[in-house]
Formats: sequence, C-alpha cells, structure tokens
Amino acid sequence: MRARIIGAAVLVGAALAVVASTASGGTQAASSITVWLQTDAQATNWEPIVKAANAAFQKDHPGVAVNVQYQTWGNHLQKFDATLAGGSTPDVIEMGNTEMTKYMAAGAFQDLTSEKGSIPNSGTWLEGLAASGRYGGKLYGVPYYAGSRVVTYRTDLFKKAGIKVPTSLAQFTAAAKKLGTQNKQKGFSPVYIAGTDWYVAMGFVYDFGGKIATQVSGKWKGTLASPRAVAGLTAYKNFFNAASKASKTTDESHPNPYTVYAQGLVGSMLGPAWFSCCVGDEYKNATAQFVMPSHTKGSPMPGFLGGSDLAVPIGANKALAVDWIKAYTSNSSMTSLRGIGNIPNTTSLLGNSVNERAAKRSWFVPTAKNWVNVENGNILRNMLSQILTGRLTVKQAAQSASDNIASVLNG
Amino acid sequence: MTPDPAPHASGGAVAVDASPLPAARRRPLGPATVARGSVPYLLVAPVVVAIVAILGYPLYKLVTLSFQQYGLPELIQRHGEWIGLENYRSVLSDSVFWDTLVRTIVFTAANVALTIVLGTLIALLLLRLSAPVRILLTSGLVLVWSMPAVVAVQVWYWMTNFQNGILNYVLTELGLGDYFQHDWYGSPFSQLAMVTVLIVWGAIPFVTVTVYAGLAQVPRELVEAAQIDGASPLRVFRDVTFPILKPILLILTSLSIIWDFGVFTQPYLLIGASHVDASNYLMGVYVYIEGYAHSEFGRGAAISILMLLIVAVLSVFYVRRMVRMEDVT
Repeated sequence: MRARIIGAAVLVGAALAVVASTASGGTQAASSITVWLQTDAQATNWEPIVKAANAAFQKDHPGVAVNVQYQTWGNHLQKFDATLAGGSTPDVIEMGNTEMTKYMAAGAFQDLTSEKGSIPNSGTWLEGLAASGRYGGKLYGVPYYAGSRVVTYRTDLFKKAGIKVPTSLAQFTAAAKKLGTQNKQKGFSPVYIAGTDWYVAMGFVYDFGGKIATQVSGKWKGTLASPRAVAGLTAYKNFFNAASKASKTTDESHPNPYTVYAQGLVGSMLGPAWFSCCVGDEYKNATAQFVMPSHTKGSPMPGFLGGSDLAVPIGANKALAVDWIKAYTSNSSMTSLRGIGNIPNTTSLLGNSVNERAAKRSWFVPTAKNWVNVENGNILRNMLSQILTGRLTVKQAAQSASDNIASVLNG
Repeated sequence: MTPDPAPHASGGAVAVDASPLPAARRRPLGPATVARGSVPYLLVAPVVVAIVAILGYPLYKLVTLSFQQYGLPELIQRHGEWIGLENYRSVLSDSVFWDTLVRTIVFTAANVALTIVLGTLIALLLLRLSAPVRILLTSGLVLVWSMPAVVAVQVWYWMTNFQNGILNYVLTELGLGDYFQHDWYGSPFSQLAMVTVLIVWGAIPFVTVTVYAGLAQVPRELVEAAQIDGASPLRVFRDVTFPILKPILLILTSLSIIWDFGVFTQPYLLIGASHVDASNYLMGVYVYIEGYAHSEFGRGAAISILMLLIVAVLSVFYVRRMVRMEDVT
C-alpha cells in the first residue's frame, strides 16, 4: 500500500506528461476568467476587497464571470505545475515573491512589459517587491502586497518590568533577561522565536553585513560561512538562548507563535505584522508592536520582505487578466489592503505604521531560479537546528549549508 | 493459438473443408473454432486493456521520462530533451542518494523486525486470553488498522508535541523524569525513531491477525504431546509452532519490506515538510523532493525506476514463495 502511494505519485507524474504531450494549449473561453489567490485573501476583512475588484472589473466587462479559487501556500505550485502540463492554467495567479524567479526563468508567464504603463501606480511600485517580478529585463509579475516582520509584545509585562521599547539588540537582550527573571512560568519565552525560523535568523545575518549567496560572473557562491555571516548567526544563537524557550528544531508554524502567545507564555514574538490578529481575547488590549532593533543602536534590523506578485500564466487570456489585475491593484483596492495591515504595492500610499517602518530596511533571498529548491530542501532550517542544538559549531554548520546552497543554486 | 481437440464435429469447419487442400494437411481453423478458441482471450481482454492503459502506458512513459531532461521549462514546452543515461549517472553519483539508500535499508530492517516480532507476540498472547479480552484486543487492533495514516500522523504529532504534548505531560507526571518541553524531533535519529514507532504501531494489526489465523492451523495434539514430553514453552514455539508459521511469516516479512522501503506518508507528514532534509530522507521522501519539489521530473523518474528495481529484487523472494505455495495446493 505504502509502496503504491509512491507508485501512484510517479504514475501521476507520468500521466501529467501524457496529458502534456497530447493537450493543445487552449485559452479560456472569454466568458469567464479564473484567478488563483491564496487563502489569506479569504479572511473576512480581505474577501470584500476581492469582491469589490471583481465588481469593478465586471463594470468594464459585463457578462465575464470571475472565478476566484483560493489556494494554499503548501501545494499551490504543484497544482500550478499540473495545470501547466495540462494546458488549463488560471488567467491570474498569486505567486510568493520568493517563488517567482524559477517560474519566470522557465517561461511560465506572459510578458507584461508593454502593459506596465497602464497598470495603476506602476511608476511608484515598491522597489523591493517589483524586483521579484522582473526577469531578464522584462516584467512578469505585478506587485500585489508586502508584509514585513515586527515584534509583537505584551505591553503589561514590559511595563511591569519597567522596560521601554528597545532601540538596540543589546537593549532587547537585556530586556529579555529581565522578563525571564520576572516571569517564572515553565516554558515562558521572553522573545518567542521558533529555532529554525530562518526568516528571523537571516535578519541577523544581513544585520551584521552578511549574505546568503552572491553571484560572481554568472555563478552562485555561498557566503554564509563568511566572517560577517558567521557573526550574525552567532548573534542569533546567543539571542535565541537568552530569550526563547521554543523548540530548537521546530518551525514557525508548529506551533504558531501566536498560539503560545495566547496561552500567556510569551513576552514578545517576532513575526509578520498580522500576528496581532490572533493573540487571544485576554491579551488583545495589552498588545502592541515595535520594529526589531539592529545591533547598531537606533536602526531597525533588516526584516524579510515577504510579499506576493500577480502573474499571467501562458495560455491565459492576457487582455482580461491584465484588466482584472488593474482593478485589483487600483488605488482604492490598495488603500483597503493597507487598511487591514498589509503594505501596499506603491510608495505613494505608504504611511508610518510599524509594519511600514520595518519595511524600510529589508533583505530578500537570492534571485536565482533554483532558490525555491534551497527552501524546500530545508537547508537553512537544518543549519539552524544544527547550530542551536550544538551538533555542529556555527562555522561548521554555516560552511556545510553554504556549500549545499551553492551546489543547489548552480545545479 | 492451440488447435481445438475436436474440430471436425463443428459445422463451421465443414464449410471450410471446401478448400482444395488434402484433408490430412488441413488445419482446423474454421470460424467457429476460432471463435471458440478466442473466447477466453476475449474475456480477459478488457482486463488486459485496462492494465496496459493504466499501468503499462504510464510505466512506459516513466521509463522514457527517465532518459530525458524534463524540468519545469520542458513541462511548459511539453517536450523533453533526450539525454540518455545522464539522469541515472547524476543520481548514482549523488552521495545523498547512497546515504538515503543505506538509511532506508536500515530503517526498513528495524521496522520490519519490530513489526513481525511484536505482531507475532501479540498473536500468541491472543491465544491465551479469555474470549471477552480477546475480542476487546482484536477490536482495538482493527481500529488501529482502519485509521488512515494521515489522521494517525496528526494525532501522534499532537501527542508528542514539544509545547503542549500529552506524552511529555504524562511522562513527567509519572515521575519518569523531567520531560517538560522534551523535543522528540530533536535529531535525525529521534525523528526517524518516532516515524518507526508510528509505522510499527500501524502495521502490527495486519501481522497479528494473519499470524493468529496461522496459529489456528497448529494442531493442539502436537503442542500437548510436546508439553507432555517436558518441552519448555520456548521449545514448543521453536520446534512446533514456528515451523508451521514459517511460510506465513516469510510472506509477511516480504510484504512488510516492500511497504516499508517506499514509505512516504508517515515520514513526510510526521517529520514535516519544513524539516525533511538530506539528514533524514527516506527513499519515498527523497524521490518526492527531487522529482516534484525541485520540478526535476526526469531525474525523479530515474530515481523511481531505481527504486522499482530494488523493490523488484526484494519481491522476487515473495513471488517465488507464492508460486511454490500454489504448486503445493
């Protein structure tokens, strides 16, 4: 039975290839378009924005139905691969910004360069996000929204300990130690960080001037074992040991940090700004956010700029797809998206929220077509668990991860 | 097609007899003969067609895929580039493949041994239980058996959870040490040990029920005679029960090897998509990551073929055993 599951998976793969060789690239009937958004947009405060965009789109295209299908981050790429093979791609697809390069390089999307001028705010797009939708000088992805990582904290506990919002890593570490001595519950984390949360850990690396990888004359070179990156990883290890009681080997969704927070076992936690959504009724009014401080006083620590792009796959109805994207990234739509805590795709709408201030100093993964393979091979997570559990020294773990990353990126 | 043994009795054959050939050289191939002779083949034809369509053709495509460079760009353009044995060469020269193979073999050996030994012990226990307890235990086993692997993984993961797991709580409350926030997934060894526990737990019912059925074939008289001769229980098992159970145990072992070698659901879900990496890959997970997650379908196909060959070698023993048993009956 179990052997058969593998067999079945393989057969599905083969079947995809069969379909691929026989199906012709049909475009959707013009009476409807299919849009793949992530389930995030299914939230009760988010879906009305999608519906409003659909209504605006249908005003220009009466009778064209918009079929929005919600996908999950875990398997939307596998599903997308299947539609690419089968010639039934959606007309618009939301892609995570770290997922774009592989698909742009493979030719999965239609070139939107000539449409760029007609898309709202295309002159003032957030550069960090817009870069993830460009490949070989062409535009394939329209920036959708971004989110930065901030510290969500318990104002009551900070107040009781007499701690002000820290402005440097050293201050934050001292504050964490103080919180730890004041809150004696078993398992209490002054700063909850899941051990293998590489989004947080790489922030330390970039803060100390390190990088994950660099491209030297067309070839990728792993740089995590450089002195600066090692300094960053060491700082991460020290901070984790001083502040977090989370598992050294778990990730940031097992459990969700906000779940532990809602149990009253967390003084503060590092994560996307929307974490404030789910801190529990008990602590809702004792929760605020600040920007993660750098080891350099007064400066924010570079945070991972997560975000999404909207792309038009090959075989899609380009004209209608672009019109829908225009409706969904319009000023009013972006204003609403900002209203529910996202960073809009244009600098013209940027305000001064914690989220937006944190986004001013950000880092991004290497834009290599094989980057996704580094992520789903869990190379960085494995390195962090080796470092935190002490199975390897920082230098050893970083060297081995760095070599792996280089071989995957050049592979 | 074999000639019909009594062709001349059929009217159809007579009609063909009008041919100028001498009677002695005539081949009995009248329409009715052909019709009658082909009936069995026609009857199996739908099955053969279905098997070829759903198994043979994909297998053929899989083999051809393994000789091609077939990644995401090729998937989009819908044709791959023939590269001969390059996929096999790259897989076989990859140290991750060999590490994974060795790890999977050790893992399989441990899982199969535990499954068979524990399953047999529980079957022997069933023999000695009173009817109500036996029914209770059997129902428990059937419940385990009927639980889908995905559900079992979720429950197991929840129980062994670092933060709120009930296992850590119970162990601590029982005074067995401080298991507060004990990390059951802290190293590749303990990750795979947790997977082993889950797989063995799920596989025991099948072994127990089968062995229990086999035990019914052990003649009472033989056991009693051995006992009267003063044989210890261990001796009775070794010299009376075991030889009778042997064919069943062999088949169970072969089947378990085949299942455990390619196991995917339990390791992938229990270790978690965020934690499967080169340090804890089993073959099933490895082929999934290489083939699907990395969108290297050609390379994934090559690994699948290699796995298929390994499993085929493993199952030769099983098939031979089956054939021999059919000869006996």
